Amino acid sequence: MLNTIGIWIAALLTLAIYSFLYKDNFFYKIAENIFVGVSAGYWAVVLWFDYTWPNLFEPLVRRHDYLSLVPIIVGLMMFTPLIPKASWLIRIPLTFTMGVSMALVVTQRVQGDIFPQLQATFLPIAGQSFLTIVTNLLIIIGVVVTLVYFYFSKEHKGILGLAAKLGVWFMMIAFGASFGYTVMARVSLLIGRVYFLLHNWLGVLR
Amino acid sequence: MKLIERLAHIDRRILFLLVALAVIIPLLVPMGLPVDITKPVQDIYNMVESLPERSIVVVSADYDPGTEAELYPATEAFLEHCFRRNLRVYMIGLWPGGTTLANIALNEIAQKYNKVYGLDYINAGYKPGGQVMLLSLGRNVADVVRTDHAGVPIDSFPLGRAVKAARDMSLIMTLSAGDPGVLHWITYFRARYGTPIACATTAIMAPQQYPYISSGQLIGILGGLKGAAEYETLVKRKGRAVAGMDSQSIVHILLVIFIAVGNVVLIYQKRKK
Repeated sequence: MLNTIGIWIAALLTLAIYSFLYKDNFFYKIAENIFVGVSAGYWAVVLWFDYTWPNLFEPLVRRHDYLSLVPIIVGLMMFTPLIPKASWLIRIPLTFTMGVSMALVVTQRVQGDIFPQLQATFLPIAGQSFLTIVTNLLIIIGVVVTLVYFYFSKEHKGILGLAAKLGVWFMMIAFGASFGYTVMARVSLLIGRVYFLLHNWLGVLR
Repeated sequence: MKLIERLAHIDRRILFLLVALAVIIPLLVPMGLPVDITKPVQDIYNMVESLPERSIVVVSADYDPGTEAELYPATEAFLEHCFRRNLRVYMIGLWPGGTTLANIALNEIAQKYNKVYGLDYINAGYKPGGQVMLLSLGRNVADVVRTDHAGVPIDSFPLGRAVKAARDMSLIMTLSAGDPGVLHWITYFRARYGTPIACATTAIMAPQQYPYISSGQLIGILGGLKGAAEYETLVKRKGRAVAGMDSQSIVHILLVIFIAVGNVVLIYQKRKK
């Protein structure tokens, strides 16, 4: 019974949202407002039950882990701009967050992204099948000319200009592929909703 | 008025209607267009096939209802393959809604193969913290996973006790809709612990993952609904991804026609001026 009610609510809200394609209307606005309200409520619950309670208060209250007081105090400092005399205290949590984030991002991006990606461009262009050589050359040339496009210390003239122009072509092809995939994604979402309406709601698909 | 001028002023709602029909009709009257298997999908399938029985596969449900249409079919097809191969599934999620959604598929398919919760599969639930959580997870699972999704202590289950660190995980499959997701698994988890990573992503994200396949950081990718349809074909599962492929193809053809006609009209109008 609950499942059926859920399906009906989902189906009617889906139709209400799609009704916007005809023109803006009352049902669309109702559905939009419900979505905003439910999202806000949902995130409030997630932030408390998945972040704050298990990571901060639960260790303190249930396990008497008094070290948890440190992040609680530092976290509360984020609100100090509300008290002008103590507003300077916000620097402590901000610098801590910046420092940790930077350390994490820099080390892992270098180790997990930049170096392996750089390594992946060191490709053999001899002793391979014709198709592999062509593919590898495309990757190597693509990387070099795209990087040349982003080299701004010298005017893009002559060979540099030619390489930069070629870089633009490589990027355009990449953007085209991305756009194609984006269209595919949007169509997939529509298929998902239509499938739900025909299968789960109307039951005309088996 | 000439046809070309009529097309220039066509009501956009007619285009919406045509797209809707192009989706609905093939769903009601399937044409069974072939689904070709691409190498990145075949590579994931081969990897799962190569794992010894009872290996532990971590399935990370990093999506929410907004991308359910693309990633839920991939979740179903991948879980079906894992259970058929008698692998153990350890589910976790970097997005709050992911493990709740994927739990439906997990229980449904586990029941089909008579799998026991806690022994053959487990759902550790949503774990916040992104990259920091992933680094801790690989070092010592107990630091970040204390209970399963229902709040039961994780070490009360045999599978919960079996997964202590990254070394116990044979493969990670991230079903990723954004950030945190596949990029975090690659740059933080794989870079630090070397565990093989495979992914299913939304179609929008798919092109960004191909460099990671070239570099060997990713085993393969199920890109959008098409990738899920390919996997369904490989595991011989009649799912909704394959069912949606006819509509996908017809809409793509329709959009190509729209673009072509739109350009013809534009050129005509420019010449007329």
